[in-house]
Amino acid sequence: MYALCVPRPPASRRSPTAGLILGLVITLTAVVAYSWYISRQISGLRALQNNLVDRNRKDSLQLLRIQNDLNSLGLAMRDMLDNDEPYPLTAWSAQFNRVRADLDDALRLEKQVAVADRTPEQQQYLGNSFMQFWDAVDRTFALAREGKEDEARAQIRLTLQARQAALNTAVARLLVQNNESEEQAAQQIADIYNRVGKQVYLFLGATLVAIVFTSLYLIRANRQLFAQLATLSEQRSDLAQKLIATQESTLRYVSRELHDEFGQILTAVGAMMRRAGTQLPEGSPLRADLQEVREITQKTLDSVRTLSQALHPVMLDEAGLESTLDWYLPTVERQAGIGISYEKSGASFPVSGNHAVHVYRVVQEALNNVTRHSGANGAAVRLRFLPEALEVEVEDRGRGFVEKSSRQGIGLVAMRERAELLGGSIQFLHPNGSGTLVRLKVPREKPEAHAE
Amino acid sequence: MNRRAFLRNLAGLAAAPALSLWDPRVARAAPNPALGFHFTDVTTSAGIHFLHNSGAFGGKFLPETLGSGCAFLDYDGDGWQDILLINGMDWAGHKRQRSTLKLYRNNRNGTFSDVTRAAGLDIEMYGMGVAVGDYNNDGFPDLYITCVGQNRLFRNTGKGTFVDATKASGLAGRETLSTSALWFDYDRDGLLDLFVCNYVKWSPEHDVFCSLDGKHKSYCTPEAYRGETCWLFHNRGDGSFEDVTARSGIFDSSSKSLGVAMLDYDQDGWPDLLVANDTQPNKLYRNQHNGTFKDVAVEAGIAFSAEGKARAGMGVDVADYRNSGNPGVAITNFDNEMIGLYQVTGKGDYVDVAMPGGVGQASKDKLGFGCVFFDADLDGWLDLAVANGHIDETVRNIRGNVGYAQPPQLFLNDGSGKFRDVAAGVGGAFAQPKVGRGLAYGDFDRDGDLDLLLTTNNGAAFLYRNDQSAGNRSIRFQLTGTKSNRDAIGATVQIFYNGMQQSRLVKGGSSYLSQSELPVTFGLGKQDKIERVLVRWPNGATEEHKNLAAGRAYHLVEGKGISPQSGF
Repeated sequence: MYALCVPRPPASRRSPTAGLILGLVITLTAVVAYSWYISRQISGLRALQNNLVDRNRKDSLQLLRIQNDLNSLGLAMRDMLDNDEPYPLTAWSAQFNRVRADLDDALRLEKQVAVADRTPEQQQYLGNSFMQFWDAVDRTFALAREGKEDEARAQIRLTLQARQAALNTAVARLLVQNNESEEQAAQQIADIYNRVGKQVYLFLGATLVAIVFTSLYLIRANRQLFAQLATLSEQRSDLAQKLIATQESTLRYVSRELHDEFGQILTAVGAMMRRAGTQLPEGSPLRADLQEVREITQKTLDSVRTLSQALHPVMLDEAGLESTLDWYLPTVERQAGIGISYEKSGASFPVSGNHAVHVYRVVQEALNNVTRHSGANGAAVRLRFLPEALEVEVEDRGRGFVEKSSRQGIGLVAMRERAELLGGSIQFLHPNGSGTLVRLKVPREKPEAHAE
Repeated sequence: MNRRAFLRNLAGLAAAPALSLWDPRVARAAPNPALGFHFTDVTTSAGIHFLHNSGAFGGKFLPETLGSGCAFLDYDGDGWQDILLINGMDWAGHKRQRSTLKLYRNNRNGTFSDVTRAAGLDIEMYGMGVAVGDYNNDGFPDLYITCVGQNRLFRNTGKGTFVDATKASGLAGRETLSTSALWFDYDRDGLLDLFVCNYVKWSPEHDVFCSLDGKHKSYCTPEAYRGETCWLFHNRGDGSFEDVTARSGIFDSSSKSLGVAMLDYDQDGWPDLLVANDTQPNKLYRNQHNGTFKDVAVEAGIAFSAEGKARAGMGVDVADYRNSGNPGVAITNFDNEMIGLYQVTGKGDYVDVAMPGGVGQASKDKLGFGCVFFDADLDGWLDLAVANGHIDETVRNIRGNVGYAQPPQLFLNDGSGKFRDVAAGVGGAFAQPKVGRGLAYGDFDRDGDLDLLLTTNNGAAFLYRNDQSAGNRSIRFQLTGTKSNRDAIGATVQIFYNGMQQSRLVKGGSSYLSQSELPVTFGLGKQDKIERVLVRWPNGATEEHKNLAAGRAYHLVEGKGISPQSGF
């Protein structure tokens, strides 16, 4: 039956999930790949910074310290050769020792931070040169201690100054080497920055393209989804309305049958029983039995009429909505044991049977909810004939409306569908924070339509 | 025009640059009563009329920028501090006036008399600094004047006169550019030895042409000259000295020394020396108890700035400014280098706390020379006074924030290791910009607080009287050695009261080219007595005296007890 009533969705409508997952995977892969690339570049930079630039700088600082010490020694040797101090050459030994201690410390530190491309030969040359220098210094001071000042001065002139100059040159060469290494490192760093810069633009471009495509795809998928949802909603509404219409027509038919057919039959049976009873003598047991059967028939007739009214108040078709509510509300009061205040306002206008039954059912369902779920012992029903619409309100001061059970949910759905059938609207409100106000607003039928 | 009027006019001309720097706003500024003390400039009223003659004639000779020093001393032994002001002179070939150092005798009434001639000191020399010490232990302080050329030793005859003992003492025959000097007994033999700072190898004949604009001569920085070793002379005890510079390990031909202070760096009872070098590493000579010294400045962390740079050290002072028992150090430096304020860490190294201590930033645009730790407000915490002034008259054109004349600074110690400059609030026009050089303290009016003596380059000297208004009290000790050197230089005085302790070292030298008085002064705040005083004499012996009333001076004689004076 469903297949007959509801057209199947087009076969081309596929779920967008797969596409989205694919897009997500591609994006994540790109991010991971890019992060890996960047981290590699940063590691490279750090390595360059730590192993080359920083180390180079520290090394250069120590080399400068060594150079400064060598210069101090050079100046001291010059002073020793000038021979304008009233002190023997041995006076300079403390000064030399101070510089030597500082040089030893500087050389030790320099060795620790020496750059990787320092050859063992260079290191050995430096070490040997210093050793030879200090050996010559010791020999010079030994000569001075022996009083051989002229020989000591000759030693300074011929050996020490030459060695000091050679050491100075060696240290200067290492400084130049460090400088060149630093320039190379700076070039490498610049290359890395350039590469990373390009990659950043590339990655940004690719990400932008991916975002644009994904967005377009998402927009398309969403539009399809919304269209599908709208169709489904329409179909569901159609179906619901058809179901309601079928239900109403069935109920009306059953109600009429009960009222007309079974009512007629039972009325006729009752009449025949009365007639047969009158033909039996007073006090005869049969007459009493007939009387009893007639009463049962009458009760059955009442039940049939009540059931008929419940299924579809015939009154709706015959006397209209207003009169039906006038009859129905006291009946609910009586049956459910709650007090209902009923207000009518506005200039009354006729409501056609088709419309009236839906309004009636909404009121019926709302009062059902009051009696079953609200816990309230009273309700207010307001019927307003507005110039352009009919408004019905059912309000209680109970627990309030909580959409929990599926049954209640179905009732609400049905109420909404009925409102929609009438081209009206329905609201479920909590005006005072507690209780429920159901407000149905139905546009007034046009006279032509009503005439039809 | 007679000769005297001519000289007066010349003196006026020489003073003109200084006078043109006078700032009337500073002159009018009233002292801040919240400080509890103020300075009064009593130079003129006290009879001090002194103008330093740098000899500047346009030749821009290096020594012209350096001088000169000053001293508080009691040369006549009457218990009142006299004043000595060192002077330069005109260069040969450029004679315009006669200028000599000035000795002012304290008249005991707030005024001084010029006794230079009477004392036999009316001698022309290009003086730089002074060290005062009783090298022959006769009870009268002798003078060692450092000069451009030959330094002079003047022996005090005890009769109000001095005789030149340079030659007799064996100190003659050495001509260089000496700066600060101090007397101390490095071998603890009871005789004061002499340490002399030399700046660079300079003489008018070997002056180097330096120029800022390539055309006109300007003053050279010390890098243009070779360094000169400091000297150490051992007192033989017979009035003569022997040069032990080489033997003691002091010799260092790279030094360019300007300031020297004695201290007991390693607390071993033997005097060590701290030498402030200009553009060279400072030296901390640790006494090895055998007549030799070892430079430990690098290990101690005081040779270089925190950035590893050798600064332009000028003046230096050492004192227990944290009342911790360990000596702290202040070294004044060139502008943009800040004062170095050092304190001892737990490991015995020095760490520069100038920035957190509030002294660094405040001294960044100053070129400091003389510096002294003294308790200006007698609150029990040593404060720091600094004489500032540039060497280059045109410095303002190069560095807009640095002037040639600069205000002296007085950093008050709040007791938590923080200092703040209150110079502008102490009155007496103290904060008037000056080309400051020498700085010394002494209680010339014997009121129990410390007055300041400040000299300027090619300008006047200033005597600032300290007047207390907060009612803070003090206690003073004058020490006389018997077994130790008579001046007790090297003795430590430690006082205890109310859970607090303060210590002072009896010392010569310190500051820049100058010497402060030898008696030691302790500010006590509102305390009216101290619980005890502990004296460690230079030879290591200790003495203790208890329950001493504040508000007076005490005379401590080694091994012979203590005698209170009637006042200060």
